Amino acid sequence: MPPIPTRAITIIGFLTVVAAMFVLEFLARRPGSRIPTVGQWLGYLMRPKIGRVLILLGWWWLGWHYFAR
Amino acid sequence: MARDRTPTARRDYPGRWPRYLALPRRPAHAVLAVAVGAGLIVYAWFDGAAVPFSLGAFLGVVIPGAVLGLIAVGRPPERVPPPEELDLTGMSYWVICLALFFEWEASAWRDSSWPWHPSFTNLLAPLLVPHLVKSVAILVWLVAGWALVRR
Repeated sequence: MPPIPTRAITIIGFLTVVAAMFVLEFLARRPGSRIPTVGQWLGYLMRPKIGRVLILLGWWWLGWHYFAR
Repeated sequence: MARDRTPTARRDYPGRWPRYLALPRRPAHAVLAVAVGAGLIVYAWFDGAAVPFSLGAFLGVVIPGAVLGLIAVGRPPERVPPPEELDLTGMSYWVICLALFFEWEASAWRDSSWPWHPSFTNLLAPLLVPHLVKSVAILVWLVAGWALVRR
């Protein structure tokens, strides 16, 4: 069997982690789940003003990083 | 674990505006909602056509950031009450996933060995080249920004 190229390993790694996040979000939305949804933990982080500013800056940076460059 | 969704005090209606002046979660009229949605789609479509590294592409992300920033500071909408606390075990799953993601990304950046160990951006950027895909991604980004302002 030929060795798996490192590029494929990297892509599989990213896909696995992203898929795990989708699974977590799905599980979090079940009734009575102890896992917070993305919205809930982001909301929790955004309770203090500094958290709100940093999260919004992170959102803006994502837009700049992917759409302006 | 606390999942209290009861609006509490001024935290849910931040800013200088009294509670009765806070923007409602939903637009007053369905027509307004449709108009805003259509405007966002048109904006995303034109922004998606902007050439990377151009002034138009830069303004395309600066304007939404400035508008949402002004709304968040000046007249924030009625916010979704955040949970009082998070379940430690439940949150730890997220922390593990995020740590793995950023470790994987950091190793790609450190090795700097494109194309053998591409970063997430290296992988995502080619997918965003088609105009339609980029416009949809921008629309998702705009909606996510509004969702964050409401949090």
